Parts: sequence; C-alpha cells; structure tokens
Amino acid sequence: MNNKRLNYGDKIIYMEGVVVDIDDCSISVDLKGRLGFFKAPKRMFICDTEPKVGQEFGWNMSFPEQLGPEVNEHYVSNIEKERRKQQEMSKRLDDNKEV
Amino acid sequence: MSITAETAKEHAHDPAVLCCRAEAGITIEPANLEDPAIFDDLVDSGLLNLDGCLTIEEVLGAKLTKTCDSLAPLTADVLDGVKAVSAPVAEEAAEAVVEAPAAPVAAAPAAGGTLRIHIGEGKDIDLEIPVGALGGGAAAVPVAAPVAAAGAAAPAAAEASEEKVVRSLTRKHYTITEVKRGPETKIEGTTLYIREGIEADVIADQELVKDFKLEIITPELYHTYSETVMDVQPIATKEDDADLGTGVTRVLDGVVMMLTGVDEGGVQIGEFGSSEGYLDENIMWGRPGCPDKGEIFIKGNIVIQEKTNMERRGPMAAHTAFDVITQEIREVMKKLDDSLVTDTQELKQVRRPGKKKVVIVKEIMGQGAMHDNFILPVEPVGVLGARANVDLGNVPVCVSPLEVLDGCIHALTCIGPASKEMSRHYWREPLVLEALHDEEVDLCGVVFVGSPQINAEKFYVSRRVGHTVEMMDADGAFVTTEGFGNNHIDFASHIEQIGMRGVPVVGMSYCAVQGALVVGNKYMTYMVDNNKSEAGIENEILGNNTLCPEDAVRALAILKTAMAGEDVKAAEKKWNPNVKSTNVELIESAYNKKIDLVDNEQALPMSEKRRLKYS
Repeated sequence: MNNKRLNYGDKIIYMEGVVVDIDDCSISVDLKGRLGFFKAPKRMFICDTEPKVGQEFGWNMSFPEQLGPEVNEHYVSNIEKERRKQQEMSKRLDDNKEV
Repeated sequence: MSITAETAKEHAHDPAVLCCRAEAGITIEPANLEDPAIFDDLVDSGLLNLDGCLTIEEVLGAKLTKTCDSLAPLTADVLDGVKAVSAPVAEEAAEAVVEAPAAPVAAAPAAGGTLRIHIGEGKDIDLEIPVGALGGGAAAVPVAAPVAAAGAAAPAAAEASEEKVVRSLTRKHYTITEVKRGPETKIEGTTLYIREGIEADVIADQELVKDFKLEIITPELYHTYSETVMDVQPIATKEDDADLGTGVTRVLDGVVMMLTGVDEGGVQIGEFGSSEGYLDENIMWGRPGCPDKGEIFIKGNIVIQEKTNMERRGPMAAHTAFDVITQEIREVMKKLDDSLVTDTQELKQVRRPGKKKVVIVKEIMGQGAMHDNFILPVEPVGVLGARANVDLGNVPVCVSPLEVLDGCIHALTCIGPASKEMSRHYWREPLVLEALHDEEVDLCGVVFVGSPQINAEKFYVSRRVGHTVEMMDADGAFVTTEGFGNNHIDFASHIEQIGMRGVPVVGMSYCAVQGALVVGNKYMTYMVDNNKSEAGIENEILGNNTLCPEDAVRALAILKTAMAGEDVKAAEKKWNPNVKSTNVELIESAYNKKIDLVDNEQALPMSEKRRLKYS
C-alpha cells in the first residue's frame, strides 16, 4: 500500500465480479460494470465452498500505475517468442486436423 | 477499547495510551488504556505519535494531572507518580551472553543473563536463550545445550538415554561427466548414454502427450532459452527393490532431470507467468530444489493435448511420460558395478529418547491440477505406485525423515517459480537434515499435508494435523509451506491446531512483502521467513525463496528456545530484512559456528528484466 513507486497506491476500491470460467488451476472473473476480466491462480482465491461459475466474488483493488516509460526488451522478446511459437504450433495443429 | 489487567501485564513494556477521555485526578488503571496491538496502524496513518510516551508498567497507578482525550499518549508531564522502569532487558544483556560460549564456562548459571536474539520474518521475533545449565531449573535440560554445545567440553548433562538408530539409508553416488545419445541406454564409466528414439516411447506412453523433445544441456549451453521449468528431479533408484527410506539408493551425481512443457497451442504448462527465458538468468543455482552449477540437465520438453495445460490430467500426463526416460536410466543403474561408486553416504534415522521430541509438518499444494504431488512412489521421485495428494483428500500422511530424503515426493507443483519446492527439494530438504543431525532434539517424523482449495476442507485437514501431532506427544513442531495465497489460511490453521494443544510451533514460509500472511492467530508467534530476494518479492527466479539451511538453523534455534519456555518478543509490523541478519549473527556467536548465507538473484547475470525491476 505504501509502495514508493506508486503515487495513488492508497486509493483502494471495493470491487465485485462474476466467475465465468473455472479450470483445475485457475478462476476467471468478469469485473462488474464492464471493467474488464481477469484470470488468476486458484490459490489466490479464498473460498468457503467449492467455487462455481456464476458465483460472485468481492475484493479490494487499486489502479495499476505505469512504473516508467522504459520498455523491457527482454519481456518483449519473450512475448514475441511465445507468440511465434503459439502461432506455429496452432498452425501445425490445424494442418493435422485437416488431414 | 480498554484492556484487562492481564493484557496490561503482557504489554507491560508497550506504550501507554488512553482508550477514552479521562479526567484529571484519576488513577490510571488497565481499563483506561488502549490495546497496544492497534498502535502500528495508528502510527502509520499519522493518528498517533508515541514520542515520549511512557510504558504501561510505568503509568499504572500513577495519577493523571491533566484531563486528556481518547488516544492521548501518556507522557511524564501529565502524570504524577510514574513508576520506575523494571529491569531493562535489553541489548547489553545480549552482548554479555554472546561472549559466553567463547569461554568454556562450567554449566553454572554463568551470569544469570539472557541471550536476546532478534529473529526476522514477515514478522520479527526476539529469542532468549538461557545461558549455561539454566540454573533456574524452570526449563528442561536439553535446551541448555545451545550454548553448552558451543563450548569444547561435551555437555555432561547427557543423562538422557542413548541415541537409537531406527533405520539407515545408504546412498551410493555414481558420477556422470558426460551425457550422450546412443543406440541404447547405458552407463559406461562416467558417460551416460540415452537411447536414440526414446522420444517415441515417451509420446506413446500417454494419450495426452503429443510430442516430445529431449535436450542435453551442458554448462556451455546454460545460456539457452527455455520454457518454464516444471520440475527438477534427481536420478535415483533402489537397489534390490528395497522400500523408499531404507536399504540402498543409487544416485547419479552431476546430472539431473528437468521437465518443461507446453500444450499443442504452444501455451505453457504452468500456472501463470513463469521462469521462461535464459536458463542461467532464471535459476538460483544450488538451492535445495535447483540444479547446481556445473550439472548437466537432461531436459525434456513435452507437448500435451491442446487446452489440457490447465487441467489436472495434462501436467500429470507430462510427469508420467517423462518418467519413462528416468525409469529406463534407473533400470540401467540397477546393473551398475560397485567399482563405479564414487562416494557412499549413510543417512541414519536417529531417535534420541529424553530429548525434546519434534515433528516437521510440511504443507504441500493440493488445490488440483499442477497443485498436486505424487506421494510415496516405488522408486525415488518416480511415478509408479505413488498416490496423488489430491486423491488422498489432502489428509496428513506420516513419513519417516529418510523417506523424505529418499524422494517420497514427486512434486507436480507449478506455483510461482521462486517459492516452489521441486522434487529435488525434498531429496535435499534442509530442515529434515538439520533436525535429524541436531543432537539436542528428537525428530520423530515428518507429516505431509495437502492444501485444498476450499476453506471447509482446509479446516478439515488441519484438525487432522492437530490430532496427529497430539498423539505423537511432540514437544515442538515446525510447519512449513511453499508458495503463498490461500494456502496461508491452512498454514495458519495448522499452527493454531498444534499450538492450542500447548505445543510450541515454528512456522516457515516465504512471506516478506508479496507473501504477507493472509490471516494470523495467537499461536503464530514464532515465524521464520524463507525470503532471500532483495526486495522481498516473488522474483521469478527458480527456487530463490525456498527453505535453505540458514532458515532451518534459525527455525531450530527458535523452536528450542520456545520449547524451553523462554519469551519471544513480538514481531515488528513490517518486513525488515535486517532482523534476519542480526539473528544469524547472534546464532553464530551463541553456537560458535559460521552460517553461510546463500546468494540471491544479485549473484546471477543481470538480465534486463531484473535490472529494471530492481533499479
């Protein structure tokens, strides 16, 4: 909350969302009010009962703030590698399906 | 809210602040004072300034000379009849005692002083270790040893029964200096050959496995781009089909199995984010769970059916199929000649009747998918014969310390890279090793307990943990966990269940900044933080924040102190890395031994990614 790199870190807002998808390791949530979507590991959700699609979750959050204008080339290159690999592999998968 | 006389006593040395408006002329009682537990927040937010504030023990019974509002800190100028402070139990005492080990003093209650150790965690803690033989007699005998052991003379107080070796495990080490492909899997001298075409067997083994590539990564190739590392495993096998934790285990040195994987769409198998990138920039060498620098990796990249990367069966299939290669190597190892053995190591499970009995509870992930572990396979870190922790309902499973060190856990865990305990971690588990070798405690066993997703199940399993520890009659317990998130709920609950039975518990987890505990309870007084990262964060470096020998040493020191019934000072509110270094220094002086601290990410070649993160 008091991270020096944030200028507005103390603006904490109560949010709600609806579970739209669950798999064995993650839960996907649509933020109410058309404020977006997120998917996070199950272990970051606190559940009293089994989580199910359609259930509502609440949490506090703040605004993500840009930490600086620099672009980290390492991340860019990783993202690019991932993207290319996924593209190639998906293509191969599609080709195989057609056969 | 006012406090009771009891709370006032507990917080005698904490600041005295009025809980509500008080008129001049009254005598200060506990009922006039606010609970010090809430002060940190008030100070942080600027609502309270404790400068010049007197302590609770000083103000009790004093007369208020001026009417004050609620939340007014009590200072000398508004009080009459302030009491003198009781013995300043402070640092001078610590210094005096720290000297003690150097001079092998007789067991006499040396100076009657106390050693005050400040332990750092997500919380910070102070230890008091009795000097000499604890003349007071309040504490039990074995605990006197921390200091006595440092002296040259063996503690004469060894009236306890003899050590009992329950069973032993022999590790025969075979050194491998080269890994090649060849027409058949074999070991010749120090060269391991892996059969060409073994990939087809891996693919055929599991329906979900669609493709597989094997790479041999030698130290020259460390700067290679890699997918997220799912697991690092030792290559070991049992001799003559002995059970895990007994008999002889053959293990290859200088080489490890490393599993990585994606699904057919190219999406990583792994929770989220990852440690993909150049191996040498993303692996914290030498962590118990990680490869050591100089080792060769037999690295498999498995491709599983599209979209099964987030389903339980996906990662399970990947681990099972990859074991085909390890198993083929194991079969070859079983036939190796003893002349190739380069080192033999005997691990003994020792019980020390009469010493404080301790148990290690290790919480492992059990939320599903890759948050799972195969428990007790037939071969070390194998798959065959093992039961998945999730299928067992995450209930506690008791194992012997030697089973842990013999690879009874095949970890599917794919949580944040920095804090996950991979299969190799258990093979070299530092806390088990330290506790097993510590002559002042009697390690009775290790309990693995899964961390389910749902709170109701979490409390179900933690109550089982409580009863398990109760029937062991343990004098002390460690509870460790990996990762952070909702598993901290059951982590706290395990500690509560054990603590409420009057057993002191030391909790160990990565906490620091990002992993700050979700919940707490009054039994969580002894905590050890496994953080090693400079900034206290999940830094995406494989194994960086996992339990290391230095953490095990601190945990043992604190548990021994707690079992002796000594006070442990409450933690600072915010994570402060200096506490750890201070503690380590104090423990070093008390035990007269050097504790080598492990490196953190600062020792790796600085990738741009990290440079930005830390600049």
